[in-house]
Amino acid sequence: MNILHYVPRVAVVAAVALAAGCATEKTSYGDAKSVETVTNEFGSTDLQTIAESMARSMQTAPVIVSGNLPILTVQEVRNRTSEYIDTRAITDSIRSELQKGGKVRFAVDQSGLKQQTGEIDRQQSGYYAREQSVERGQMVGAQYRMEGNITSIVKQVRDTKDVYYKFNLQLWNIRNGLLEWSDEKEIRKTTTRG
Amino acid sequence: MRYAWIVAVLATALGAGCATKKGFEVPGQAFGCPIGDQKIASMEDLVKAKVVMEGSRTTVLPTEMRCSRSGDLLRIDANLNNDSKSVKRVSYKFRWIDREGMRAWEEEAWKPLMVYDNSNLMVNTVAPTNKAADFRLILRSME
Repeated sequence: MNILHYVPRVAVVAAVALAAGCATEKTSYGDAKSVETVTNEFGSTDLQTIAESMARSMQTAPVIVSGNLPILTVQEVRNRTSEYIDTRAITDSIRSELQKGGKVRFAVDQSGLKQQTGEIDRQQSGYYAREQSVERGQMVGAQYRMEGNITSIVKQVRDTKDVYYKFNLQLWNIRNGLLEWSDEKEIRKTTTRG
Repeated sequence: MRYAWIVAVLATALGAGCATKKGFEVPGQAFGCPIGDQKIASMEDLVKAKVVMEGSRTTVLPTEMRCSRSGDLLRIDANLNNDSKSVKRVSYKFRWIDREGMRAWEEEAWKPLMVYDNSNLMVNTVAPTNKAADFRLILRSME
């Protein structure tokens, strides 16, 4: 066995190892509003598109246009897709856009109720100046509740994956149970390999 | 003959009422869209004034644009035309401008769009706020 026989192979392995070790990692900031197509799972562009579309549509609903700053509350958006989607992020974005638009007001929702009543209880604990503390029984109830669903249909063959999302949002009148407004947004994404 | 002048007045009034000055009914507007003191004589002028290409240019071009009001919010319809023989992918967003020429709303997210070959696609939106008095449609190619 001639040891010189292995020298080229060892050199190649060493060079690869060295290159891997020295591989430079580069981080840069990107545009949060750009179209994201890294995978065809639910992404930032889908979230932004849905939130914008729903908020703009809801602002033209007769109950919003004719109402004097109607009070809404956000209820659940059910995730009926096969993947994990933070639906709260979608409703938060819709709520932010609507709130900034200045046509509606939001009452505290189910998820924030504990914090809200907890703070009132704290102020009523006797440790705070009575004249500056908020009283119980002053909270304002919502007139409308917002709820929705997100569903998906996924089809996959060897080299192609097609995902169809449908986001549906509804605005219900709490007093009489009428559906005052509803709209939906569809998104189709197809990924092909090769 | 005595009533000839009455007939003439009625004909003039009728003619004025039916005058087809389409899109130029209100000063400062063309096809319902706000134009300020710009000289807009045609749909091409309006499209040129309202559409901005950013990044990679696309051959998908707006051919028609109309605006109306939904309550106190500006509503826009823009027809995008792809006259090529292939499917085109573009992204678009609207930029909202207030009466002082400042941004009325934060920069929108880019929205992807697929336009079939030899086809038209209508893009529509509503202003996010009543402070938005004017707009620009921003387009870029995604190819």
